[in-house]
Amino acid sequence: MPAKDKTMMDSGKLITQLYDRATYLIDIKKSQDWGNIGDILKNLHQVRQSIFDLDEQVVFEQLEQLDAQISDLEGRLARSITPADVVNIVRSPQRFTLMDVLENVYDSFTELGGSGDCNVDPAMVAARATVSRRVKDKLYTHQIMVIGHEKGRGEEFRNGGCARPWGNDKALRYMHTAETEGIPIHFYIFTPGSYPIEDYPGAAQQIARNLYAMAKLRTPMISFISEGGSGGAEAIGLADMRLMASHGYYSVISPEGAAAIEGKIREGHKVPKELIEHCAAQLRMTARDNLELGTIDRVVQEPPLGAKREDYAFFRRLRYEMIRATDEVVLQAKSFRAMRTYALKMDDNDGSVEEFPVGVHWEMDRSEIRRLLELRSEKYRRMGQGFGIEEKKGLLAGLSKAKELAEAGYYELRYGLIRPHEKNVKKVISEVSSEGSTFLRKVTEPVRAMYEFVLPKTEDVRTGPMEGVERRSIFIEEWEPYVSPLANEDRTITCPNAEKSGCQDLWVPDLYGEFCGVCPTCGHHFPLEYQWYLENLFDRKTLKEFNTHIVSQNPLRFQGFDARLEKDIKKTGRRSSIITFDAGVNGIKLVGAMLFSDFRNGTVGSAEGEKFVRACDKARITRRPFLAYIHTTGGIRINEGTLGVVQMPKCTMAVREYIDSGGLYIVVYDNNSYAGPVASFLGCSPYQFAIRSSRIGFAGPRVIRETTGQDVPPDYHSAHNALKRGHIQGIWDRREFRKRLYEALVTMGGPNLYYK
Amino acid sequence: MKERILIANRGEIAIRIMQACEALGLDHVVVYTPEDRYSMHVRMAAKAFQIASYKDPNDIFEVADHAKCTAIHPGYGFFSENFRFARRAAMRSRPVRFIGPRWEVIRDLGSKINTKKVAKDLGIPVIPGTDRPIYNEIEAEGIAEWLFLLQKEQGVTHPSILVKASAGGGGMGIEEVNHLNTFRRVYRRIQSYSKRQFGDEGVLIEQCLRDYHHLEVQLVCSQHSEISHFGTRNCTIQSTGRQKRVEVAPGFDPDYCTYPFNAQKVLERIVAYSVKMAKHVQYDNVGTWEWVVTRDGNPYLLEVNTRIQVENGISARIARIKGTDGYPNIVKEQIRVAFGDRLGYSQEDISFSGTSIELRIVAEDARRGFKPWCGAITRFAPYQADWVNVHTHIPPDLSYFIPTEYDPNLALAIIWGQNTAEAVERAHIFIKNTQIEGKDSHDQTIITNLPYLQEKLNDVLKF
Repeated sequence: MPAKDKTMMDSGKLITQLYDRATYLIDIKKSQDWGNIGDILKNLHQVRQSIFDLDEQVVFEQLEQLDAQISDLEGRLARSITPADVVNIVRSPQRFTLMDVLENVYDSFTELGGSGDCNVDPAMVAARATVSRRVKDKLYTHQIMVIGHEKGRGEEFRNGGCARPWGNDKALRYMHTAETEGIPIHFYIFTPGSYPIEDYPGAAQQIARNLYAMAKLRTPMISFISEGGSGGAEAIGLADMRLMASHGYYSVISPEGAAAIEGKIREGHKVPKELIEHCAAQLRMTARDNLELGTIDRVVQEPPLGAKREDYAFFRRLRYEMIRATDEVVLQAKSFRAMRTYALKMDDNDGSVEEFPVGVHWEMDRSEIRRLLELRSEKYRRMGQGFGIEEKKGLLAGLSKAKELAEAGYYELRYGLIRPHEKNVKKVISEVSSEGSTFLRKVTEPVRAMYEFVLPKTEDVRTGPMEGVERRSIFIEEWEPYVSPLANEDRTITCPNAEKSGCQDLWVPDLYGEFCGVCPTCGHHFPLEYQWYLENLFDRKTLKEFNTHIVSQNPLRFQGFDARLEKDIKKTGRRSSIITFDAGVNGIKLVGAMLFSDFRNGTVGSAEGEKFVRACDKARITRRPFLAYIHTTGGIRINEGTLGVVQMPKCTMAVREYIDSGGLYIVVYDNNSYAGPVASFLGCSPYQFAIRSSRIGFAGPRVIRETTGQDVPPDYHSAHNALKRGHIQGIWDRREFRKRLYEALVTMGGPNLYYK
Repeated sequence: MKERILIANRGEIAIRIMQACEALGLDHVVVYTPEDRYSMHVRMAAKAFQIASYKDPNDIFEVADHAKCTAIHPGYGFFSENFRFARRAAMRSRPVRFIGPRWEVIRDLGSKINTKKVAKDLGIPVIPGTDRPIYNEIEAEGIAEWLFLLQKEQGVTHPSILVKASAGGGGMGIEEVNHLNTFRRVYRRIQSYSKRQFGDEGVLIEQCLRDYHHLEVQLVCSQHSEISHFGTRNCTIQSTGRQKRVEVAPGFDPDYCTYPFNAQKVLERIVAYSVKMAKHVQYDNVGTWEWVVTRDGNPYLLEVNTRIQVENGISARIARIKGTDGYPNIVKEQIRVAFGDRLGYSQEDISFSGTSIELRIVAEDARRGFKPWCGAITRFAPYQADWVNVHTHIPPDLSYFIPTEYDPNLALAIIWGQNTAEAVERAHIFIKNTQIEGKDSHDQTIITNLPYLQEKLNDVLKF
């Protein structure tokens, strides 16, 4: 700083600035010891105390010295920013928030759904905004819907940017407004995570609803991530283009949370700082990592230590990037050529962030929207691919590809073209013959016979008892069912409700045999292994697994995770936590996906997501119902970082397309189902059921306690309460699972199922 | 090793089993609940163990292991028809012999629907109706129509059908329909009731029979595919709630009164059918086939009781086995065959003589809906003669408070006569000369069903 300027500057203001810079460094390093920053702060304090006692020249000299020291530290930090530093930058109170963006990136804005603390949810802001660009001295103004989290400037009511379920609901409401009005949406993600409460509309369900809607929202969407905390981020994150702040983080879980899980830290105990730093690095949560993994599209460069509230240059860049991203999304859907021209022109623009060489209209017509949705679908389906696939080799791969194509063609012909015709003919025949006239019968009978000759009868959906079963008893049609190995013990178990319901002690062979693990007195369900369902739920010998060649891996090279994977593979004999299969229920063929607990607690990673999507697509092509049975899921696999998180939008995309195609998607929860999967591709199903005694929710009691500071009652996540909240449609008894499933298959679902 | 039997029951049947064990030279152990501690079955036993409930299998097996029992006799009620109990006894790591049929048989004949189906397959008549739950209204109406038509053909004056919840039982979810046009409404009602109550909307439909006699066939089978019958019984005299009060063996007596059909032939038919079915299911213990016989002489199989019955004594009383003294004891036979013994006689060796009547003496008010009387018995002095046996658990020497937890049965009197007229006559003598005294908590005198029994004796065996 030149000397003459210094005298002109207000020393008080200078001190404040230095103070802010010093505390910013402390915020980032979470320590006063680093680079003696504590001493600098102390000196600064002394100067402030003695400002009127000292000669002005001395003050400035001292300040200059301190300035140099701080700048030195800043330089040092900027050269070696660690992932843990990034997390602290993002969490610093000096970081820019959505309000700064609204004020500085957009020309004007009007908050919707409340403003300030007078709000549905102050942590979620929706605003109608305008943004303008200059093209050769001409000004173009665009209408935009801005939706994002507001962390606030220390205001408690902002809840640190943790949107409550109704905040996400508000976001969804204004997404639909934008869709109706045909304006693009800019999402700004500044959230450490969603507020994990089950109050209506429910954390998990609302995120699932948002994802489901965004998958096919008919308007361009751009999202910008500064702090992308897992599910909370996804609630407004499924966009056509995803930008990320260079000093932001986007992660499956906070480093502290990951450290607590990895280090098996008990509640209330302190998590070591080193472990947190280690986990922050392992999670691959920085902008560069995410760009490499393909979970974001582009990085917006910030100043060396991250953008603060008054970094106006950054806001100019952000405006440029957001407009450019919107242009690109729109043009990509419009025409390839226009897009190429645009790219060339932008490249010639000499890196100016003020002026645009061209203006682009953001309105889109019907066919362009269709293309936009196709591109979006492709984008998310591609995400996380290739991180868990053991490809089939050469000829085999070609063969299976050909088989898939042939299959698609067959089912389209069989049920797509012929079936509606067949239905119509049958309708006419039945209408005509129901006249009851013998004359008409004579006329229609040969037609009917001919028709049945040409087209084979469709699969007979039987209503009676099962066929082809071994009969041990000379009486009822009854098969010798698969009996859980748990039953091989001569002892008794006390039902947990014995005191309340007066249940007798249960003899283990009875309980795990004939009673299906259910207490006959009170209906309490004891957990059963997943094999039980595979064996007892479906028709004999109809179960065929597929895509077993897609296996879970360790894409982030997460330390120590290979060994754990290896252990689970050995233990279960399976190579991912999901089983996808074809099976039959009373003759109705279905496609199934089952997440089970023995393998990494049923967590979802890239391999699981890919298998799920392929199963879903198979159901769509073959027009079969799709069952997702969740034996247990512990959420998204944290060891896969954001590659795990993107399975949420990815699988939801597949589910949405399946449901839209007129299928039947049934989700059945058992044991424990929590977090990401429930908040996306499971929670978006219109037909969700739970097995009695299961628990369903967004976050477990511990996480709720740690984030909200409140204890939840022990039955907070019970199936009963989930039903009460409208999350599920019914509670099924395990003993009647097969029957209920069959009823559901027959009575629910869209018009394009093969047997309808 | 000497066999030791755990008697998992109470009251008079526990005593009868105990006596049978003694006759066979077997050890025995009884269990009792605190309410039953003064019952004779506890006082007569050499070894008795207190348990919390007769219905808790865990308690029973615990005692069986502790007392080193090799077999369990369930008596009637409680675990006698519980195939899970029988299965557990057979499959546990320390197996205990279950005195009753194989558990598979108990399970398969325990389901009425199943029994009906098997009977149908064997050409054995069952009450016209469905042999599986119906879920479809149109199908149901078709069946109802057919049942009304059937009754019209039979010349039934007031035809009616029963609609039952398939998952129900014990009289719950049953409604009668008298006209086809009210059927749908009732069907819907039962269907929704059934769905609400049992989670299954299956409905059974059958012809509603009136004016019938309730008959039984007593079978004794061995594990060596030997099947013999001990004749028939008539159990038509029942209190409301279908509790038997007077039973007579044999089932009909054409010498005593006239029947609108060939009674002897009907008895022969039901015996033959019962034996046929027992053979088919490879029955291997004592069991009772229950029948209803309508006024036109048509028998219909009702159900099979895979256990010893209360009224087994009257069948034994009229039977003689060639080469043995006196009359047989079916409880004893049951224990013998359960241990794998051969019968040691064939059907030709079994003959019958006379009539036997069983009176169930219960402290209840027959004029007020058979309401159980509750109080203490101070004196119980049944009439004694060589033609009557009384089975009771009431102690003769002290005042006995009737436990309210269980069946209020006080005693069974098994009376024999050379013919039915004599048996009835003797039953009258027995009732007249039996003295029961007692007081309830309001110092009111005991009420028993003796007057009711006396009145009903006149109807015995008469159609």
